[in-house]
Amino acid sequence: MSTTALPVRAAPLRALAGTDHKRVARNAGAVAFVFFLAGGVLALIMRSQLAADGGVVSQNTYNQLFTMHGSTMIYLFVVPLALAAGLYFVPLQVGAAEVAGPRLALAGLWLLVAGGVSMWSGFLTSGGAASASWWGFDPLSDSIHSPGSGMELWIFGVMMVTAGQILWAGCILLTALRRRAPGMTLMRMPVFTWSMVVTCLLTVFAFPALIVALCLLWAQRHFGGVLTGGLGAVDYQQLFWFYGHPVVYVMFFPFVGMVGEIVATFSGRRFFGYNAFIVALLCFAGLSMTVWAHHMFTMGQATNKYFSLTSTALVVPAGIEYLDLLATLWGGRLRFTTAFLFALGFIVQFLVGGLTGIILASPPLDYGLNMSYFVVAHFHYTIFAGSAFGLFGGIYYWFPKLTGRMLGERLGKAHFWLMVIGTNLTFFPMFILGTDGMTRRIASYPASTGWQTLNVLETVGAGVIALSVLVFLVNVLVSLRSSEHAGDDPWGAQTLEWATSSPPPRHNFHTLPPIRSYAPLLDLRDARERAMP
Amino acid sequence: MPDTLHAYRHVSGIYFPIAIGVFAAVVLALSSLLVAGARRRERPSGRSGAHRFELFYVLALGAVATFLVVVTFRAETPIDRTVASPGLRIKVTAAQWSWRFEYPGGVSVAAVSTWQPPVAEVPTGVEVEFAGSSRDVIHGFWVPQLHFQRQLLPGYVTRFDLRFDTAGHYGGECSVFCGEQHSQMHFAIEAVSPNAFQAWFSRQRSRLGGTA
Repeated sequence: MSTTALPVRAAPLRALAGTDHKRVARNAGAVAFVFFLAGGVLALIMRSQLAADGGVVSQNTYNQLFTMHGSTMIYLFVVPLALAAGLYFVPLQVGAAEVAGPRLALAGLWLLVAGGVSMWSGFLTSGGAASASWWGFDPLSDSIHSPGSGMELWIFGVMMVTAGQILWAGCILLTALRRRAPGMTLMRMPVFTWSMVVTCLLTVFAFPALIVALCLLWAQRHFGGVLTGGLGAVDYQQLFWFYGHPVVYVMFFPFVGMVGEIVATFSGRRFFGYNAFIVALLCFAGLSMTVWAHHMFTMGQATNKYFSLTSTALVVPAGIEYLDLLATLWGGRLRFTTAFLFALGFIVQFLVGGLTGIILASPPLDYGLNMSYFVVAHFHYTIFAGSAFGLFGGIYYWFPKLTGRMLGERLGKAHFWLMVIGTNLTFFPMFILGTDGMTRRIASYPASTGWQTLNVLETVGAGVIALSVLVFLVNVLVSLRSSEHAGDDPWGAQTLEWATSSPPPRHNFHTLPPIRSYAPLLDLRDARERAMP
Repeated sequence: MPDTLHAYRHVSGIYFPIAIGVFAAVVLALSSLLVAGARRRERPSGRSGAHRFELFYVLALGAVATFLVVVTFRAETPIDRTVASPGLRIKVTAAQWSWRFEYPGGVSVAAVSTWQPPVAEVPTGVEVEFAGSSRDVIHGFWVPQLHFQRQLLPGYVTRFDLRFDTAGHYGGECSVFCGEQHSQMHFAIEAVSPNAFQAWFSRQRSRLGGTA
């Protein structure tokens, strides 16, 4: 009998107050996915506006739309979903019966819900939702330039979800460090678990800076005198980007980890270069705490060359990760499942985002491209064409573990190809428009610019993405209604979460296999094959 | 010489081909691995590392990163520098949602209306120093044709030099989102020959004298 479980009997209460990490994570994932759909609707309205060349919404509404789109996707979708995946699978992958700090994990879920509702309720206030962009930069976000309760609700909402994310990171980190099964040494933890460890380190170190920045902003709004003068604006940005760049990697590492697991499983071989990959992840995380002011090159208030140097140095750990992902395919016997296709989509498309990131890390280029659609294209290639593809790969891969049901492969592949077409149609033209001088965060552009054709094309792409997400939702509904059970390990996978039932029991395992490497189930299969010549 | 256009073209001429080359190489490697892996019938390889190759690869990555940083630093130094005695000093003031350019001797250019953004004349071929600040929130002084932008902060003067080598009309935008009418914050810079500039400047000064 666990001492941490609440004595809750009624099912609805258990859904709200149960502390099983799997239930908390599943609920958090579902909440984050609802926010993804909501943020996507905002994107579709913006795309309609840009395709129709104005007239759909006013400039003021458009400002609320892009602010809430960015805020929703980052604070309420990608980061919480990445951490929810860790909350679900890290205890399973290290052979733990329970997450460390289950009540804190539950608190994180409620902070996500409360914060998200707070941010979105701005739309119900007379002044509308926050409209100072997802950065909430002072002085634009102060009480003179952004009066009204929309901004206040945004500040409190972001603080709440961020606090919840720090709690989750603490729980996951402690689970990996203190709750590992016998035999599960640090250097036998699966690639995904390691990716979550570095993610949580970043979260714990960097996210408090955002809460501090928002406290200062709140004090500035109500009392003044905190962020004053031109350098007050710089202070806010230093604090914000000290969070705002590590968060980019919080939205990247977990998906690299997922893709690593998927690639190894569907190549039927051991992950290549495990040690180098882990060291690269740790270096990557350390280095990524030193690059934040590359967002401030055009302010002339940071040491541009230093931040350019550290940002460019990211080439080294990123290059190692790419080598290991590709080399895992080498000598593999491949199975082209939907999960594997999404992983390949991640590898190819994230690369576009990564390479353009190196371009933006050069100040002479950033002076010309910052704040343009080139930047918008760059980070959508990392977060959407990269991380969201990794995420869907993870969903197709782990759905049988979560639910005991397989997602349909036929619908899955339709989802994948539609999403590839939609993504590239939407985001690639933005590189061209950005280099041509199209500024972001503007509701309509003069016809003389000649950008209309590509804008219409992008909007068509956004529609294709929406269609692909609908196909995914249909796939989920069809699968949940099917009665066919997936079994414990439908993929022939390698890590411990596949050594228990689907879904796993309350305390995760009845028995554990011996753990002698980072791929214990592969070891078992190899030993069995050797025993039967 | 703060030739931002040249710096941008030089650096992008190195960075973009490398990026495209790396992308092509990865896609090529990936495709051949996929074809081989789809055909494979025998047991998957058990190999889990190749330390010597990994070490060599890290050194190669380090060399590429070093090369890129050197290219960037060499191009950035001249465009970040402001010269001691520029050919002209202009004070730029940004405010929600317009621009004002002030020349020596009290000459200034400001927006007439939203539809008529201010047009600042500058001479070609000399360093023009801009001393910019904002009266409210952060604004971005962006001249897309020069591939240059710099943020203007409230209560702080940001100085930068620009050089217009070819005469012509240079459109300008506010690049930093600054509130409801951000999209309307246009300006323009008209680069003309030094003689034409002198003529324009004298005309402006005499007009100033006439009204005074």
